[in-house]
Amino acid sequence: MHGVRLIPRILIEQRAATIQDPVARLRYLQRTVVARESAIYGRANRLPWLGLALLFVLILTPGYKKSSVKASFPLKPAVHALPVPGAEINPPDILPPDIIPNVWLVDQSRDFETYSNGLRVDNRYVKPNQRRIFYPVYQRDAIDAGEPEWRSEPAGIVYHTTESDQARFSADQNARLKLIGKAVIGVVQQNHSYHFLIDRFGQVFRIVPETDVANHAGYSVWADGKSIFVNLNASFLGIAFETQTQRDDMPSANPAQVHAARILTEMLRARYRIRQSNCVTHAQVSVNPDNMLVGYHTDWAGNFPFRDIGLSDNYALPPPAIYAFGFDYDPTFVHATGVRLWQGLALAEDQMQTQAAARGLPVSRYRAILQKQYKEVLAALRRAATASDNHET
Amino acid sequence: MRHNDQVNNSAVGLDVGTSRICLAQRVRDEFQYETQLNAFVTIPFSKMTENVLKQEKVPHTVDGPDIVVHGNESDRFADVLNIETRRTMDKGVLNPAEPESLGMLRKIVESLVAPVKDRQKLCFTVPAAPLGAEDNLTYHEATLRRILTDLGYEVKSINEGLAVIYSELESSNYTGIGISCGGGLCNVCVAYLSVPVFSFSIPKAGDYIDTSAAAITGERANRVRIVKEDSFHFNGFFADKLQQVLGVYYDEMIQSLVQGMKQAFSNSRNLPKSNRPLPIVLSGGTALPEGFRDRFQKALVETDLPIAANEIRIAADPLHASAKGALVAALADA
Repeated sequence: MHGVRLIPRILIEQRAATIQDPVARLRYLQRTVVARESAIYGRANRLPWLGLALLFVLILTPGYKKSSVKASFPLKPAVHALPVPGAEINPPDILPPDIIPNVWLVDQSRDFETYSNGLRVDNRYVKPNQRRIFYPVYQRDAIDAGEPEWRSEPAGIVYHTTESDQARFSADQNARLKLIGKAVIGVVQQNHSYHFLIDRFGQVFRIVPETDVANHAGYSVWADGKSIFVNLNASFLGIAFETQTQRDDMPSANPAQVHAARILTEMLRARYRIRQSNCVTHAQVSVNPDNMLVGYHTDWAGNFPFRDIGLSDNYALPPPAIYAFGFDYDPTFVHATGVRLWQGLALAEDQMQTQAAARGLPVSRYRAILQKQYKEVLAALRRAATASDNHET
Repeated sequence: MRHNDQVNNSAVGLDVGTSRICLAQRVRDEFQYETQLNAFVTIPFSKMTENVLKQEKVPHTVDGPDIVVHGNESDRFADVLNIETRRTMDKGVLNPAEPESLGMLRKIVESLVAPVKDRQKLCFTVPAAPLGAEDNLTYHEATLRRILTDLGYEVKSINEGLAVIYSELESSNYTGIGISCGGGLCNVCVAYLSVPVFSFSIPKAGDYIDTSAAAITGERANRVRIVKEDSFHFNGFFADKLQQVLGVYYDEMIQSLVQGMKQAFSNSRNLPKSNRPLPIVLSGGTALPEGFRDRFQKALVETDLPIAANEIRIAADPLHASAKGALVAALADA
């Protein structure tokens, strides 16, 4: 199963629509859809029911319309929208103009901060961690593991879920909700897990100061127009929702949490000039160097409310781990995600193939080169971390 | 089978229906069809009768003291002789009550499908399992497979409802609901991007209407079928009792079909409610009467189906849609 290309159904549908001959169109659909389903489910005779389930996942996807999809995703995005390395990766036809919000600090006490957009940050549980001094950033057009650029300001946000116990969200459960919330704060504080935690009532707690590193992203990769970020604990801020991942069609965050995330995101973007394309979910950035697969963590893999939080739907962005470092993905990950993230996976896959073709290399060979590059970067980071530890001790 | 230099010999589609068997081929970019009634009659042998049949090129077989006329002409002979045609199939599969079913089915198929030597692709239709009943299609499918393989073809089967989708729903990338209202069964299939995700059949179709109306009016079922196919339509006033009775049983069949769809969709635990409507295509000889689509739509609207339809239409060529779909499937496989 590993290595099978899983093209999202939306793209399959669009491509099929361009094939005039009915037989050729059917042949294309049978080849791609059936192969895809077989890859996911293994047994062809399970196709009917599981396929139907997928059909309705697609049907129920908010905003899924032929016309709107067409407008958002051109037929061959890899060719027209996504350039080879070195060029702009944030295509204007996928994301609207990036406008940084205007939010400022209104009031500050020892325990609380109040901002102009209504955000209130509770600082009573802050626990400093290792200070962020510099972190390495790699140039997209010339990744050099030994010669990174060094930055110190947060470049993005990664959204997480705590996957902690969930009491029913109702007034009669207040005591239990508060008790669990307190326990969650204790755990994430002890582990320096995130910079911010949004509890079930939408209260925002600062856990780790933005000046410090939080242990939120682990092995991870993201990129913006010119830069690639590897292992995002230092470069990206972590925001966790106290919630458990729900099925695709069920919201994993309640309205109070979504509102809190929106105004917190506005504040952080305003303060650190963070691009909206750098506001992503843990599932989008998480990688596993042991098997070179993306999606080691799958929190917010499919139903993160980007738009409600005031961001573009960043699921449409291709995961840089695939096109920059040759990571792969497996059916388990695709199954865990919604169709929104598949869009990005397909773009990344297309881009990888375009890049390989531009170099006259088979995809497998090109992927191996990229993977080697990642391992060099990772080794350099480990050496740097060891050197830093030795220096401190 | 016609042999034409322009015929795309790479594949053949065959709709094996309870009432009719239809062959589809592609000639240049056009689909061409040839149909035989899937029925036969037995008449007493005489040398003169045999000569006339030969002269008129009527498909027949001499079987001891009898002459068996099969295919399209069987209808005319049955009407003239005031006897019922005998059927090789019943409710979509080989007729267990007809001892000659296998032999006659082979004859009728051979009258349409010429033997080949190059393992040409052939795709034939099979019904879906009846709703709420066990799938009992193995023998039927295996028998047809054997007949066609013996003729030299590389054979595969296709669900009849799916064949309708392959024939009619190209514009929606073969996504939607295909319904074939034939003689023995109504076959329903839901497909998404060409993948069949759901299919079933109900045993009320054209034959049910014919036999039920025949029982009420005292007519022969064969005669009822001829009247039904010649002149019946919905939304009209009929002084004729047979037409009135036909209307009653047509309505019952449509209700059964729609209720069957509701039951099938509702029983599916994996079927969440959808807000994306799907196209529905109706085909088959039983869907031919004028007003059938409207009557089906009315029944559908009155039923709370978990799937919404954005379009309900009759197939462009209802009698040949399944055969065309089978051919498209065969060509895609070629």
